[in-house]
Amino acid sequence: MAESLAPQCTPLKTAYDACFNSWFEGYLEPAVAASQTADREAYSKKKAEEYQQKCGKVWEEYKTCLQKAIKESGLEPVLQQAREEHPLTNPSPPSNH
Amino acid sequence: MHFFSQSFQYDHPWSHVVIGMWRKYPNPKCTHVVSVDVVDRSVDPQTGIIRTERILGCKQKAPRWIVKLFGGSEDAFVREICFVDPATQNTTITSVNLSLSQFASCYEVVRYTPSSHNRTAFTQTAEIQARMALWRSAADGLEKWLCQRFEQNAQLGKTAFTEVLRALSEERLGRPAMAA
Repeated sequence: MAESLAPQCTPLKTAYDACFNSWFEGYLEPAVAASQTADREAYSKKKAEEYQQKCGKVWEEYKTCLQKAIKESGLEPVLQQAREEHPLTNPSPPSNH
Repeated sequence: MHFFSQSFQYDHPWSHVVIGMWRKYPNPKCTHVVSVDVVDRSVDPQTGIIRTERILGCKQKAPRWIVKLFGGSEDAFVREICFVDPATQNTTITSVNLSLSQFASCYEVVRYTPSSHNRTAFTQTAEIQARMALWRSAADGLEKWLCQRFEQNAQLGKTAFTEVLRALSEERLGRPAMAA
């Protein structure tokens, strides 16, 4: 795994990444299959909850560590500005920005 | 503005490519990517779409004149937003530079979609544009200075004209215009 921008957060990042990757590998192919039937919503809901249960705790720990590091590194203002300029909160259809 | 685009086919099914995406770094060919962090991730319980926001840290040896002029450093950060949609089998990754963003913008969009025979189509486009922030900040300074001068002159003009009118009025009344 790559490192975190903050070395002190790397162990938490590694733990979180491992959790997400493991969940994601079990998620994706059945998700594609479920989308072809009427099961998409039921499957998505179940899997979203499962992700929260499995990875929620380590995510919060990693996020706390990282946010503190981002503040200290001075990256926060430029990150905020980037978010305002391109929120990208919704997947857009293939088009020019 | 500079444009870049390329497309390619990976000989792997879409789901394998998308799973592999999260394991791309570190790798020996991309030693310039030194850190990867997930700053936000959400799984939409209705659509099943996964949105991920990441910050990637890169180390690139920029030419010295660039470092001197723009005050940059070896460290460059990039913000990447990724949407994985299992329903449409579409993965879209948008990246923008965080570092030196006031001077130039590099906006990249990558797409992965299934292709025939268990392959995955990859398309990548980038728009690279220098921003006028450098000139804009100089222009702002000029405007500010002009404004201050204008205001100051307006004050002087008002005071001066008041005096001129007073003097003219004295003249009309046959009195000698008094020195201000």
